[in-house]
Amino acid sequence: MSLIQFSNIRKTYAIGGVTIEALAGVSLDIGEKEFVAIMGPSGSGKSTLMHILGCLDSPTSGEYVLNGKDVSKLRADDLARVRNRDMGFVFQAYNLLPQMSALENVLLPCSYSDRSLKAKEIRTRALELLERVGLSNRMHNRPVELSGGEQQRVAIARSLMMDPWILLADEPTGNLNSKGAREIVDILKGLHEEGKTIIYVTHDDNIGAQAERVISIRDGLVVADEGD
Amino acid sequence: MAAKMRSFLTMLGIIIGIAAVVMLMAVGNGSKQSILSRMQGSGSGNLYLTAGTRATVLMGGFREQGGRPGQSSSSTKITMDDLTYIEENSTMSIIVSPVNTTNLTIKRNSTTMSGSGIFATVNYFEVEGVTVADGRAITQGDVDNRTRNVVIGDTVATTLFPDESAVGQDIRLNGATYQVVGVAAAKGETMGTSVDTSIILPFSVGEKSFGMTRNVVSRTTIKCVDPTQSAAVTTEITDNLTRKHKKVDFTVTDVAAMTELVTSSMTTLTTLLAAIGGLSLLVGGIGIMNIMLVSVTERTREIGIRKALGAKEWDILGQFLIESSLLSILGGVIGIVVSVLGSQFVVSRFTTTAITGSSILLAVGFSIAVGIFFGVYPARKAARLIPVEALRYE
Repeated sequence: MSLIQFSNIRKTYAIGGVTIEALAGVSLDIGEKEFVAIMGPSGSGKSTLMHILGCLDSPTSGEYVLNGKDVSKLRADDLARVRNRDMGFVFQAYNLLPQMSALENVLLPCSYSDRSLKAKEIRTRALELLERVGLSNRMHNRPVELSGGEQQRVAIARSLMMDPWILLADEPTGNLNSKGAREIVDILKGLHEEGKTIIYVTHDDNIGAQAERVISIRDGLVVADEGD
Repeated sequence: MAAKMRSFLTMLGIIIGIAAVVMLMAVGNGSKQSILSRMQGSGSGNLYLTAGTRATVLMGGFREQGGRPGQSSSSTKITMDDLTYIEENSTMSIIVSPVNTTNLTIKRNSTTMSGSGIFATVNYFEVEGVTVADGRAITQGDVDNRTRNVVIGDTVATTLFPDESAVGQDIRLNGATYQVVGVAAAKGETMGTSVDTSIILPFSVGEKSFGMTRNVVSRTTIKCVDPTQSAAVTTEITDNLTRKHKKVDFTVTDVAAMTELVTSSMTTLTTLLAAIGGLSLLVGGIGIMNIMLVSVTERTREIGIRKALGAKEWDILGQFLIESSLLSILGGVIGIVVSVLGSQFVVSRFTTTAITGSSILLAVGFSIAVGIFFGVYPARKAARLIPVEALRYE
């Protein structure tokens, strides 16, 4: 059964009277437990696609069915619920809150949950996730005290906090050196083996080649969709 | 550190605003209370009858029954005959106390002091609410016989007789010898005069020894036994005396009406002062809005991150509203402390102040309202950001 269904998704921006079409009608079908890389040159629309996948942005037209539910027409607060519960998002720029420690950053999604969570349980879970990304000893450090690779691992732990269906990563290795990038890819692979659906954007062929399915985007359209 | 400095400066606007509201109201309420306590000390239901009409300084409020404002009063007078006429024709129960006053040099052995002499009848004590602490009051006999018996005020007694009872002792007033028969209980100032620094003499002694014109009264206090009748008594006295004099050449002042007037005009003044303070509070509130808008802009990315993690509009709205409310509530509390200290130790040197519970409640309510009102716009702005746009913000 497919987890994500995109039907003719379009996204246009009006900038200074000029209409720019970032997505020109994308149709996609991504199943549960897939490991997908979205590739394309800059300006191809892959980030826009990622934002719509992650419910951070709404399509101009088209239908987005997530796990059997049409989310393209949801209101802002319902989309927030979807982001909190069903998705984990990892950004190129890590996007940790600078005033909080690693542990506090990992715990942050819990403050926006509808479920009633027990403080002790979520703390245990956050500690487990930090352990799993190899940062137990850095949990009280703030982002500025961590390397880029460490910050990205904290961000992955944070994205897993609410145990989402899908992990979305937008150029997760874009700011990292090759060693840091390899660590991140290894973690993503491990998560995939545990059964998470993982979709990531990259323009690096080597990183893209790690996925089981590669979707290529150009000028707002899917130009290739290859499985292993 | 820079953020703390910024928050403090923002709060300063609220601190000054709240302090201004509370302190200005304290000045207003304080003036009101001090004027009222001075007026009420004279006893409720008292009317004052004086010769001549008076230009109505406080327009419309005084229950003045008079002729043309500014009319000369030198040729008119109130006499004992007038008072007898008023008493005989009164349908309501009244007590009339005629009084003349003079300045005195009071001397005993080597101690000299100045004070005022009050020439009064037996009614004086009841009408003015003066009680005798030691000895006796002026009697009808004293008045009839022009006896040189006097009742002295508390301050006079403690000055001239610091170590002994004054009763039965002799004092010299303007060179002549008088006997102290009583000491009045301390009372404080009433309508600008204080019995404490005065000497009460029989009314007739003024005519005999101090050159007062016979039977002429400079000021008369009329007590209405039923204070609620003061307005009716005022009208009746005015009618009767006008009939006798065939013109209005006197003034009847009703303390109750004056009190009412002062109360309402002082309340207006207090409201005006509070409004002036409120203006500075408004400016403080705009300061909060300004700083919150800056904060929203600076933290656009943080808002984007929080939204990406599932924060709903209300979560963001609440976060910024709490921030602006905290700023203004904290500013309000500090402002109240500043105003309490300020009015206690600084302003009270210049004028009477009274901080009332209601002015503090008003200030607290205002500061909460300011925080929410001026926080809502920036908070809504933050809450409605589209996540992807907020995340893109550098």
